[in-house]
Amino acid sequence: MNYFDLTYIFLFLPIVIIVYNIMPKKIKPAILLLASFVFFFMISKFLIAFLLLSILSVYLGTRWMSKVDRKRDEVLESTEKEQKKEIKNKYRRRKKLILILVILFNITFLFAFKYLKFFTLNTNFLLNCMHVGWRIKVFKFMAPIGISYYTLQAISYIVDVYQEKVEADKNIIRVSLYLSFFPQIMEGPIARYSQTAHALYERVRVNFQNFCFGYQRILYGLFKKFVIADRLNVVVGKIFSNYQNYDGITIFMGIAFYTLLLYMEFSGTMDVVIGSGEIFNVKIPENFRQPFFAKNISEFWTRWHISLGAWFKDYIFYPVSLSKPMKKLTMRARKGLGNHLGALISGAIALFAVWFLNGLWHGAGWTFLFYGLYQFTLILSGNIAEPFIKDLCTKLKINRQNIAYRIFQSVKMTFFVFIGELFFRAPTLEVGFGMLKMMFTKIHISTLWNGNLFKLGMDKKDFLIVFLALIVIFIVSILREKNINIRESISKKNIGIRWLIYYALILAIIIFGAYGPGYIPVDPIYADF
Amino acid sequence: MKKFFKSIVFVFILLLLVETLTLVLLPGRNVKKYGVFEVAAYEILGEEENTIDVIAAGDSLVYSSLSPMEIWKHFGYTVFDCASAAQIIPDTYDFLKVGIKSQHPKIVLMEANVLFRDPAKKKQENKLLDYLKYYFPIAKYHDNWKKYITYGRKKNWANVYKGYKFINKVEPATEIHPMSGSKKRREIIKSNLQTFDDIVKLCEENNVKLVLVAFPTQSTWSSKKHNSTQDLAEKYGLEFIDLNLVDLGINWETDTKDAGNHLNYKGAIKVSKYIGNYLESTNILKDHRKDEKYKSYINAYRIYYQNHKEQLDKIETTAIE
Repeated sequence: MNYFDLTYIFLFLPIVIIVYNIMPKKIKPAILLLASFVFFFMISKFLIAFLLLSILSVYLGTRWMSKVDRKRDEVLESTEKEQKKEIKNKYRRRKKLILILVILFNITFLFAFKYLKFFTLNTNFLLNCMHVGWRIKVFKFMAPIGISYYTLQAISYIVDVYQEKVEADKNIIRVSLYLSFFPQIMEGPIARYSQTAHALYERVRVNFQNFCFGYQRILYGLFKKFVIADRLNVVVGKIFSNYQNYDGITIFMGIAFYTLLLYMEFSGTMDVVIGSGEIFNVKIPENFRQPFFAKNISEFWTRWHISLGAWFKDYIFYPVSLSKPMKKLTMRARKGLGNHLGALISGAIALFAVWFLNGLWHGAGWTFLFYGLYQFTLILSGNIAEPFIKDLCTKLKINRQNIAYRIFQSVKMTFFVFIGELFFRAPTLEVGFGMLKMMFTKIHISTLWNGNLFKLGMDKKDFLIVFLALIVIFIVSILREKNINIRESISKKNIGIRWLIYYALILAIIIFGAYGPGYIPVDPIYADF
Repeated sequence: MKKFFKSIVFVFILLLLVETLTLVLLPGRNVKKYGVFEVAAYEILGEEENTIDVIAAGDSLVYSSLSPMEIWKHFGYTVFDCASAAQIIPDTYDFLKVGIKSQHPKIVLMEANVLFRDPAKKKQENKLLDYLKYYFPIAKYHDNWKKYITYGRKKNWANVYKGYKFINKVEPATEIHPMSGSKKRREIIKSNLQTFDDIVKLCEENNVKLVLVAFPTQSTWSSKKHNSTQDLAEKYGLEFIDLNLVDLGINWETDTKDAGNHLNYKGAIKVSKYIGNYLESTNILKDHRKDEKYKSYINAYRIYYQNHKEQLDKIETTAIE
């Protein structure tokens, strides 16, 4: 089952809503938790044990930390001022030990399920290169669904408790629900405890407005997935699996279509996820904010998979860049390299850590590592070049707020995103570079008019549907960029217009959805990470 | 209460709209006679009545191995693939009931692999989809808007491929598994035997020659399945053609779309020629290529050829060489 399965939308979700509503207020959170465990069990069966272990480790770890804090406060009350710092440090060390233990415990599972095979294969490769006779046995385990997401949520919660940003929760049901809420468990967003935990425990009945708004958002997600993403999937699959047979223009189209497919599939999933949460009055944080309206790659990453970017920023970037050795390094570098470049050094190291881990998070493979380092290079070079570009624009009298300059920035950024996604999708680095090379060296202009582009699984009518659907997405994106709440605005219209919009959306999915014979639905891409 | 009433009206209008679109997009013929669902689920009902000579029923091995247009081209027989992915034998029976009732074919080729699939294991998701297609046949025919734009509203949108799925993809088989020659039997579950018995009776009652066929595959067929099917065929006095034991000249490097599981169009052309020869040898069927009544098949072949001219011409040239 995934979020686009009919079973989820028409069976699972309605059943949970009904049961949740008829049950007494007191046990409503338990119903949501039970539904979440059932959802998890339906996909990953007995691997649910690992989810339970994670929940338990984080719950016990945070409770233990809370106990340490209480003890510390008691001791501090009866301690002289001069000794307070020492006492605080002593208890901080204890908490740190708990933090490290819990994080290691959770990371071990993540490593075993996701990275063990990759690391053993590469170690064996090295051993082979060094002519060492023995090999490590390669293990590959089936991973519990959503392990990459709930592990990061678990870490964020325990770190927040360690830093005393949130209090350790006594309520194990709330902690469990925060880590395993069924709409989020498969593909995120990676929410913070402060964002969703309390809303999940509010025990509010599903009301008519939430139900309607939630399902409207789900519909919008279905539109993106079925009308656009699934329609593009056949073409993308063909081009990437037999790229040698195509020319540069077709390959470029394949890469652009893949980027679009990924955006539509993932943001569409997020619409279903956020809509599902909304039904239960839980505001799940947004994961996308019109990413293609960004001016540069750096901004793009504050708009695409926002929750992952924010997690890396808070739990990797800042801890690394603000660590004592980094501060020292920055001071020295400023003296030697000047204020601009000197300040960038520690940031660059932290940024490298972020993108190395970000690449690895997406998958255990060299293409993903390359993808991460590619983004690192782009962002870092952008940061280094920024003052020089600013100076250059001033000298050449180019207005950077000018619409032409903005379009130039968007085109440049989109092109860089395409190249990144090429490596993200390519099965190997060799294929990625092969496609990149052919994109520039094997250009047959006639492809644009000889009709070959329509023989890849999408005819002219399909192209037209994608184009029209993208116009709808574009209009919605502009309205959202202007902070206009579209569903609120629609709900204020008269009933005729309102229903017309809903019917149009539902019928568009039914008629123009790319499902059935001849189409291959996109698998939930981000559920694999 | 007002909201509840509104919701009911909303859903009612939606169903009305869906129903209207269904009437527009569905192949119109036979709606009254067979019910909307049957027309949508059974593409064979898009054909003129009593024009199909042979029905081939079974799972994906049928629609990937047997190209009715190739048989039409070389022999002039009308064949229709009533096949669906991972078909279970109760579905085969349903397909045959509808097909025989509307077409009165002379021969039924029943793919033997369905005998070994447990109907109870069919995925829940598929069941839900089946129900959805049952009550909302537009879910199956929604894409007809394309034909509507191209050809206009017609009473009958017959399937040009006659149930076959033209697959161009090549993924060579990494391993070849010849039939082991084992003497063991693979058990056929009781309910499947019962349904098979119903199929035999259905064919006998309608004077249809039933032939069991195992299509070439490297992964889903075995000697054990062969032996059990052979026993069954002997029990009922039926013919059984196991194409895994016949040298059809299939090249598992080039003629398969998914490493030996299914054939692509190159493999399907070889199988279709063999089956065409077999059908000819039965002396039951007539060549309809010059018969005006079969104009739709002539048109269908034209479209089939136009759609795949490049690949089909290549095969023709290779054959001549």
